[in-house]
Amino acid sequence: MKTEIDSFSGYRIYPSKGRLFVRGDNKIFRFATSKNESLFLQRKNPRKIAWTQVYRRMHKKGITEEVAKKRSRRTVKHQRGIVGADLAAIAARRNQTAAVRAQARTAAIQKAKAEKKAKEEKKEKTKPTRAPVSSAPRVSKQQMKGGKGGR
Amino acid sequence: MIGLKGTLNVIDNSGALLVECVNVLKQKVNNGWGSVGDEIVCVVKRARPVSGQTSASAAKVRQGDVRRAVIVRTRKPVRRPDGRLIRFDDNAAVLLNNKREMLGTRIGGVVSADLRMKGWGKIVSLAPKVV
Repeated sequence: MKTEIDSFSGYRIYPSKGRLFVRGDNKIFRFATSKNESLFLQRKNPRKIAWTQVYRRMHKKGITEEVAKKRSRRTVKHQRGIVGADLAAIAARRNQTAAVRAQARTAAIQKAKAEKKAKEEKKEKTKPTRAPVSSAPRVSKQQMKGGKGGR
Repeated sequence: MIGLKGTLNVIDNSGALLVECVNVLKQKVNNGWGSVGDEIVCVVKRARPVSGQTSASAAKVRQGDVRRAVIVRTRKPVRRPDGRLIRFDDNAAVLLNNKREMLGTRIGGVVSADLRMKGWGKIVSLAPKVV
C-alpha cells in the first residue's frame, strides 16, 4: 500500500481516495479532495493558500524541531607537521620564551656584524689596486650620461 | 462518456486529427455512452493533408471517412479496481479497421491503462506512456 501525496496541498492520499488528473502535457496531478482539485483548476497558487504544506514550509511554520538539531556542527582544528618542520619542531619554536628568542637574535646580530667586518677588511686590502682600473670606465659612463642628458 | 456527436482527438499516425462519434458499439449497458476501451464508429472530421510521396503509414485516412476507433482517454473519470479515479484533459481515440486492428503504426501521447483490462494490449504496448 503506497500513500501518494497531493500535488496541491501536500497531504497524504490513501488508496481509493482522491482523484488523479492527467493534463494535456502528460503531467500527472493527484488530489486528495475536491477542494484541492477545485483550487488547482482555478489556478490558485498553493504558496499563497495558508493551509497547504508548501505555504507552511515557506513560512517555516511548525518546523522548529528540525532547525534545533542542525546547529551542533563545528569543525575541530588539528595541528599537522609540514615537510620542513615536523610537529615537535613547531611545538619547540612556539614554546620558546621571549628571553631565549632575544638571546638568539643578539647572537645572530653579532655574528652578522663580525662577518661584515671581516668582509670590509678584505675590501680595504684590495681597494687601492682596484681604483685606477675602475675610474676609466666610470668617466666614460658619465660622459655618456651627460651626452644623453644634453639631448 | 462519449456518445453521438462527441469529438475525439486521434493520437496515432493514421492521418486523422479529429473524429466524431457516430455510434458506440456493444453498449447495452451504460445508456449508450462510450468510455475508455470501448469501440466506436466515427467519422473523420479533420485529417492531415495526404501527401502522396512521403507517407509514414500505408493507410492514410481522408476527411469524411467512416471508421472504427477505440477510446483511449476521456475527460470523464474512470474508476480503477483499487478505487482510484483517473481523469484526462481531453478525449482521445486510436483508429481501427473492422478487424480490431490498428490503422496507424505509432501512438503519440498518454493512454489509459484501463485498455489492457478491456483487451487492447497491443495499443498499450505501443503507447509511450501509460497511466
